[in-house]
Amino acid sequence: MTDDLVYRSAADLAGLIRAGRVSSAELVQAYLGRIDRFDRVLHAYITVCGERALAEAKAADRALAQGRAAGPLHGVPFAVKDQFDTAGIRTTSGSRVHADRVPEQDATVVARLRAAGGILLGKLNLTEFALGGTLTYPFGQPCNPWDRTRETGGSSSGSGIAAAAALAAATLGEDTGGSVRSPASWCGVVGLRPTWGLVPRSGCVPVAWSMDAPGPLTRSVEDAALLLSIISGPDGRDPWVTPARQDPRADLDRGAGGLSIGVVTQLVDSPDTDVEVRAAVRTAGERLRALGSRVEDVSLPLVPLAGAVFMALADSEAAAWHHPTLATRGSDYDAGTRRRLVTAALLPVTLGQQAARARAAIRADLLRALERVDVLLAPTGPTPAPPIASAQAPIASRAEAARRFFNRRSYTTPASLAGAPALSLPCGFTAGGLPIGLQLIGRRFDEATLLRVARAYERATDWRTRRPPLQD
Amino acid sequence: MPELSPAEVGALAAAVGLRLDDPDRAEIAHRLNAFLEVLAALASLDLSDAEPSPVPAPTPAPTESIGQ
Repeated sequence: MTDDLVYRSAADLAGLIRAGRVSSAELVQAYLGRIDRFDRVLHAYITVCGERALAEAKAADRALAQGRAAGPLHGVPFAVKDQFDTAGIRTTSGSRVHADRVPEQDATVVARLRAAGGILLGKLNLTEFALGGTLTYPFGQPCNPWDRTRETGGSSSGSGIAAAAALAAATLGEDTGGSVRSPASWCGVVGLRPTWGLVPRSGCVPVAWSMDAPGPLTRSVEDAALLLSIISGPDGRDPWVTPARQDPRADLDRGAGGLSIGVVTQLVDSPDTDVEVRAAVRTAGERLRALGSRVEDVSLPLVPLAGAVFMALADSEAAAWHHPTLATRGSDYDAGTRRRLVTAALLPVTLGQQAARARAAIRADLLRALERVDVLLAPTGPTPAPPIASAQAPIASRAEAARRFFNRRSYTTPASLAGAPALSLPCGFTAGGLPIGLQLIGRRFDEATLLRVARAYERATDWRTRRPPLQD
Repeated sequence: MPELSPAEVGALAAAVGLRLDDPDRAEIAHRLNAFLEVLAALASLDLSDAEPSPVPAPTPAPTESIGQ
């Protein structure tokens, strides 16, 4: 089977299977072969469900031959972050603490992808408990397919790798403060954080209940829309989920003409933003202008505080959830995770309340801006993927802690704090060949417009046609 | 703002039932001091009208459902 085929979009592959031009079993075998070849180095997967996936694929092929297609993903191999429960398959959350945890029920999003005909290939690596800052990964250090010495972004690290390196047709991650968008940006794929309250979190090991949002990482905007259409909507278990207002694919090919785009100056022009990143994002804005959008600068003065506000709130939520285990099995946590959780456990409650008020103010600013423009535009992060070693250096000062933890998170956390949908897609490469991510932020429950702009940009550029230089 | 020492961090952690070794105490002190410094900036903002709700205000009922 050619590389061209495994790099095709999930939507294309579903069409090819349905047309009888390729079988699900052939596709599963092709992806398993690539996992065997490349994942010893990349460490995208924690668990590979090879035999089970192949058996399900053969069953899918037989069903199709009998005229029974399960749904829009019939026979398409996918993989999910190991934060989502899978019945009968261990779900580790990337931690020794959950190394032997085997759920009895699929997470809603997993069940929906399987009900749509998808074949679960396996469970994907992540930073421990989806928190970020892991120093030593229990299931292998995830490596960036574009440069194995670089970080992948997190927490949905394996989801980003597997999408970029074609180790699955499509993947699922979870985004609390940027955990889908960051790996999408650094691995050069599309990553969508849906509106909070659109996709059920049931069966997803929590980070922060008020911000957790399951979302797809894919090689095309069309696939992101397809997966979102499958996983969204109430499940009767997550009380905060409301029905989608429209099919996210409804406006996909209407182009960007007539829409208004606001460029967030505090993020694009920040001194923290790398010059190549800034240039690529500004150029993307010009490209959208050329496609007929009205592009203007927008000022959101509170956005630089978002990273610290997010960490005060999300980490406190996480610390409360982990506290009983942290008190009894602290040494089973990675040191980076443990230090992050304990720090949050010691924050004064009064500061937490101030952070909650600041969150409301940041959210109000962002949502007000989105009353004036259809979509906001910013870099997904300040830099391309940094060296792995840079994240493992000890923290020796207060200033170093602030630089490493707060500043870069201010790029993705405004959407998280606001509960707004946001998407990262490739908008260029550095001179050294690393992907650069463009972030688009939309109105709550208006994924259709967000995806429309992303699709228009994607079609006007050829970034998605590049492939990482993989080595056996 | 005065900085918390590793020993003070260790005492705070013990008060909430968490035991730390020396490397943890030292690094958590840096992390906690960074938090306290950056969040102190919030005191200069007028947030009196910002109600600290964790989730956005309810949105109007949808007119169409495509979810499963």
